[in-house]
Amino acid sequence: MSIFKSWKRGVIAALPLVVILGGGAGLTAATASASPTVTTINYFTYTAAPDHLKDLAAIVNAFEAQNPTIRVNVETDDYADYFTKLSTELAAGDAPDTFELDYQDFVNYAASGSLLNLGSLAKADKSWNPAFYAGSALNAFSYNGIQYGLPEDFSDVLLFFNENLFKAAHLAYPTTSWTWKQEMAAGKQLTNSSTGVWGLFQPVTFNEFYKALNQAGGQFFNASKTKAKFNSPAGVAAAEHLISKLGTTMPTLAQIGNTPNFDTNLFESGKLAMWINGNWQFAGLTKVPFKWNVVVEPGDTTKASAVFFDGVVVNAKTPNTAAAWKWVDYFTSSKVSVLRRVTSNWELAPVANTSLESSYLTATPPQNRAAVFEALKAPSLAPVITQENQMETFVNDALTNAADGSGTVAADLNHAATQVDGLLK
Amino acid sequence: MASAVIELRQPSRTIKILKALRPRSLRQTLLVGSLALGGFLWLFPFIWTLVTSLEPNSAELVTPRLIPNQITITGYQQLFSTIPFARAAINSIGLGVVSTFLQLLTSSMAAYAFACIAFRGKQFIFLCYLATLMIPLQVLIVPLFIEMRDFHLIDTYPALLAPTIASAFGMFLIRQAMMTVPQELSEAAMIDGAGHLRIFAKVVLPQVRPALATFAIFAFMASWNSFLWPLVIVQSSAHFTLPLALAELHGQFTTEWNVVMAGSVLSILPILLVYVSVQKYVVQSIATTGLK
Repeated sequence: MSIFKSWKRGVIAALPLVVILGGGAGLTAATASASPTVTTINYFTYTAAPDHLKDLAAIVNAFEAQNPTIRVNVETDDYADYFTKLSTELAAGDAPDTFELDYQDFVNYAASGSLLNLGSLAKADKSWNPAFYAGSALNAFSYNGIQYGLPEDFSDVLLFFNENLFKAAHLAYPTTSWTWKQEMAAGKQLTNSSTGVWGLFQPVTFNEFYKALNQAGGQFFNASKTKAKFNSPAGVAAAEHLISKLGTTMPTLAQIGNTPNFDTNLFESGKLAMWINGNWQFAGLTKVPFKWNVVVEPGDTTKASAVFFDGVVVNAKTPNTAAAWKWVDYFTSSKVSVLRRVTSNWELAPVANTSLESSYLTATPPQNRAAVFEALKAPSLAPVITQENQMETFVNDALTNAADGSGTVAADLNHAATQVDGLLK
Repeated sequence: MASAVIELRQPSRTIKILKALRPRSLRQTLLVGSLALGGFLWLFPFIWTLVTSLEPNSAELVTPRLIPNQITITGYQQLFSTIPFARAAINSIGLGVVSTFLQLLTSSMAAYAFACIAFRGKQFIFLCYLATLMIPLQVLIVPLFIEMRDFHLIDTYPALLAPTIASAFGMFLIRQAMMTVPQELSEAAMIDGAGHLRIFAKVVLPQVRPALATFAIFAFMASWNSFLWPLVIVQSSAHFTLPLALAELHGQFTTEWNVVMAGSVLSILPILLVYVSVQKYVVQSIATTGLK
């Protein structure tokens, strides 16, 4: 009797484990018995959640209707945690068949050999049309001359201006022919301390510096990416252009402090005449009580606009290359996908034929939405190395030191360049 | 002579409490004041969370406040339409309960072995088991993932539970409590013919209820708040836990904080209920085990 009771206790104690593990095995058995003629591929994304899951589902449904032997299994995560999961899955050899990458991470993943060369798949696909994409967008996802990804969406930085303030000051609106000189002159004229209006706001940060460097005709690295070149005369001019605005056409860094959305609030309250920011601000400015517009940002010797791309790539180890290629091609270049993005206010697709996005272009404000696509013609892409965060810290520290006058711009940039050279070894 | 019975009216309970709290010196005033301030500072984030959850979304939500400008439940309504919150809550509760049960079972049995049974190499094995506490989860993530992949358990409930079946911390906590149980009780039971299983279940375990309750709270909270392992192992929204579901509310560039805070408020409630229900055992356990 006691033996039976102890057996019974043992079985009861083990029961939860059996149920749990059996549930898992049952699930895997059910999955294994799916039809062998249907290929299921995974697509991992961060841009769809939380607002565009239904839009993505609609695109997936349209793709599956057109390709009945392919199923797309969507996995989502928020951007902050996306790369933790992706890195783990890649390290374990179990990464999704297709996934999303922003431009900066694309460069690192391509360099590490994690991505499939799409060039041969594209060449073999007679229906693929590279002219569908804006040229600069397709090039952004090419690494060492090999196409590793396709561009999915983009956003860019423009010059926003308050038309009411310009009219009140009897100044002509900014145009695409403007240079830094006209921009600064207008900024100074529009700054009025008695009314609390500032003329021109541009953050003094790494993201603005590399773009200003390109606008001054400079490059961040040498051609072989073995040496930093941002401490050139063009780099000094770019840093001085950013720093000269502090206290002149925009508040000082001390006045800005750590106030979140300082510049956004300033522009929305009608106290800022010109503002360097991105087209993602359009939706938040529809109800401001003044007229505003945008134009491609002025350069110094060269036009260069900061553009941020997201692309889709294929895992180098996927066993489903053909299905994965069909999905990434459809997702980035089908009319269904492009139109769905436009109508749902998702990020824009970087297409050469902007008539597909006419509903976006004709919406107002701003009037000059064409500037969003014009900026694609001369993109300034972020410099990328493995130790990206450290590099940004070195440059930001140099800009901050130069801004508070504790050093000269040239000396601070030289010091930062030496530090970045150390990261390139 | 009639005896005069003077009935003293007893002060009400409220007055007794107020009298007890009344500072009798400057030192006590300062003490009460600083405790009140500390209590407010501790409560402030929770009040701010609740207030933000009851406001409509706007850029002003980043500014801390205690009183909402406008009260609305749109955050809570959007919460359920944006993410599978109810499913995630059920997943978290279910995983928390099962994980806690498994850890209590394995930890108490291991603790009994280390506390009450003499065997060769006990101290060495105990130290090795404890040493596993020093290995952070980040180091184990990739090998665990590979293990689950090889067992075909990725994106399943067993995979979510597997790393939580045993707990070295739980074993240590319960062992400490079991070592305070008089040996004579076990010896008496042994003389009466009880084996180790019966002594464990009928003699020792009832004596360490406070430690079990305390560890149950820790285990449930750890499971409830667990993020990194579910992030890596879960692929479908059907298996989302609450932390994963709440993380999905963060957009790439913007976040609707009122919705996030609504989710946070609702996710705090179950853990609060669990703690309140076993609170007295936690206090007892702290007193008996010396746990700080």
